[in-house]
Amino acid sequence: MGKMSRGRRKKFTAVIMVAPALIFLVALKGYPLLKVVHDAFFKVNLIKPSEGFAGIQNFELIFADERFQQTVLNTIIYTAGSVLGEYLLGMITAILLNREFKGRAFFRTMIFIPWLVPIIVAGMTWDWMLNTEFGIVNYLLQAAHITKGPVDFLGDARYAMPTVILINIWRSFPYYTISFLSAMQSISSDLLEAAAIDGAGVIKRFFYITLPQLKSVSLVIVFMHIIWTAINFDFIWILTEGGPNYATQTLPIMIYRYSMKKFNVGAASALSSMMFMVMSLIFIIYYRQRTKISESLE
Amino acid sequence: MLSRKKRLFIQVVSYLLLILFTLICVFPFYWMVLSAIKPDSEIRSAVPSLVTAMPTGKNFSKVLFTAGFLKYIKNSFFVSLVACFISMVIAVMAGYAFSRYYKERLIKLSNFAMLMSQMIPGVLLLVPLYMIMRNLGFLESYISLILSYTTFVIPLCTFMMSSFFDTIPITLEEAAEIDGTNKLQIMLKIILPVSVPSLVSTGLYAFIQAWNEFMFGYIFISTDKYRTLTPAIMLFKGSNVIDWGGLMAASVVAVLPVTCLFLFMQKYFLSGLMSGSVKG
Repeated sequence: MGKMSRGRRKKFTAVIMVAPALIFLVALKGYPLLKVVHDAFFKVNLIKPSEGFAGIQNFELIFADERFQQTVLNTIIYTAGSVLGEYLLGMITAILLNREFKGRAFFRTMIFIPWLVPIIVAGMTWDWMLNTEFGIVNYLLQAAHITKGPVDFLGDARYAMPTVILINIWRSFPYYTISFLSAMQSISSDLLEAAAIDGAGVIKRFFYITLPQLKSVSLVIVFMHIIWTAINFDFIWILTEGGPNYATQTLPIMIYRYSMKKFNVGAASALSSMMFMVMSLIFIIYYRQRTKISESLE
Repeated sequence: MLSRKKRLFIQVVSYLLLILFTLICVFPFYWMVLSAIKPDSEIRSAVPSLVTAMPTGKNFSKVLFTAGFLKYIKNSFFVSLVACFISMVIAVMAGYAFSRYYKERLIKLSNFAMLMSQMIPGVLLLVPLYMIMRNLGFLESYISLILSYTTFVIPLCTFMMSSFFDTIPITLEEAAEIDGTNKLQIMLKIILPVSVPSLVSTGLYAFIQAWNEFMFGYIFISTDKYRTLTPAIMLFKGSNVIDWGGLMAASVVAVLPVTCLFLFMQKYFLSGLMSGSVKG
C-alpha cells in the first residue's frame, strides 16, 4: 500500500468503501431486474420448470386480460388522487406550522404520527373504524343524519376507491408537511419582511416568494410519491385485496395475482417490465427537471 | 402591517385548523387503544362509546400468550435490529465515499445508480427475489428478510449519512492523516464520534422501515416459527370471525415500540430524514 500514489490510494479506498453497497444493489436489485426483463419473454412458472421462449405471448396475454384497462385506469386514479391530496394537505399543514406559536412542537409531532405507523396497522384500524355494524364512522355519520343507513365504505364498489385514496392520503401527507416545513424555514425572513414592507399581502407573499422557493422540494417529493404510490402493493392488498369486484385493483395487485396466485411468472414479468419502463420515463423527466433547477440555483 | 383584530382572527382560525388536523391524525390511534381495552360486549355494540366503563387487559393477554404474538415480536425485533445494523455499516462506508471522493468516476456512477434504484419498487422484484431466495434456500428464514430489508434502505441511508459527512470539515482528517493514522482509525476515532446524531436518525429510519415492512414478510415466510409481526396481524384478521378487540391489541403492540423510539428521538430523526431525502 505504501508504494501507491496518493491518487491511486484514494481510488482504492473509494472502491472499498462503496463495494458492500454496490454488491447489495447489484445482487438484489440489478440482477432481479434483469431477470424480470428476461422472464417477460419466456414461459416461466413459479412451481413448474421453464418451458422455453415465449416471444411476446406474455405481453399478449396481459393485453388480452379483460381487467387490464380498468387496472391501468385504477392505478392512475389512485396515484393522482393520493399525490394531489397529500400535496394539498401537506402544504396547508406546513403553512399552519410555519409560524411561532405556543404548542407548535406538540402539533408537529402529532401530525407526523400517521406516517410512522406500519401500513398493516393503519389499514386494520381504518377497516375497524369503517365497519358497517360496529364502526365509529358509520355511527357518527348516522347520528349526524348525514347518511341514513350504514355505508360499506370498503365493500361497496362505488366507495372503495375514494376510501382507499383518503386513507392513503391520511397515512402519507405528514411526510410532505415535514418536507415543506423544513424548506420554508430555510427561506430568509429578510426577503419576506422586505416584501411585506413593500405592501405585499400574506397571499401575495406566499405565491411570489414562498411557493417558488419550494420548487425543488416539491419536485423531489411529488415524483418520489408518484412512483411510490403507483407501485405500492401492501396498502391496497391489506384494505381490499383489490376488490370489491376489482374496483381497487391496481397494477401491483395484478402482478401479485399473476405470480403468486396463477403462478404465471412470465406474464407477471411482462407486466412488471412494462411498468418499469413507464417508471423509468417518469424518472428521466424528473432527473432532467432536477438538473435544470439545480443549475438555475447555482 | 396587519391590524390587531385581523391577527387575532388568523391566530384563532389556524389553531382551530391545527386542532382539527391533530384530531384526524390521532383519533384512529385513540380508537385503536380504546378498542383494545374494551370488553367484548362494548366492542360489539351498535352504539360505540368514546370511553370505556370497564377497561380490560384480556385482549392483550390473549394476543400475546395465546395467539403467539410474543414470538412474532421477538422475530420482528431480531430481524429489524440485524437489518438496521448491516444497513448502517454499509451506509456509513458508502456515505463517506460519496462525501469525500465524489470526484471519482465510480462514485459518481454509484450515486446515480442509487438514485435510480430508489425508484425500483419491491413488488416488481418480488418474483425474482422470491426465486433467488428459494434457490439459495433462504425462504422460511430470517436471512431472506434481513437481506431484502437491507437492500431497500441502503440508498436513503447512504444519502442521509453522506449529507451529514459533508458538514464535517475535512481538515480534521487531514491532520490525523499526517500523523500517520490510517483510514479505519480515522473513521472509528474521529468521524463516528461526531456523527452520533446522524447515526441515530439513519439507524432509526432503517429500523422503522424493517419493523413496518409487510410484503416480504408475508410472502417469504409461511412457517409460524419465523413469522414477523406485520404479516401475523394480517393472518390474525383472516381467521373466520374477526376478533376486533384482539386485532386492535395486536396493532397497539406493533405501533408502540416505533412510536416510543420516535417520540424520544424525533429531533434527530426529522432533520436527518430531510437532509437525506432532499439530497437523494
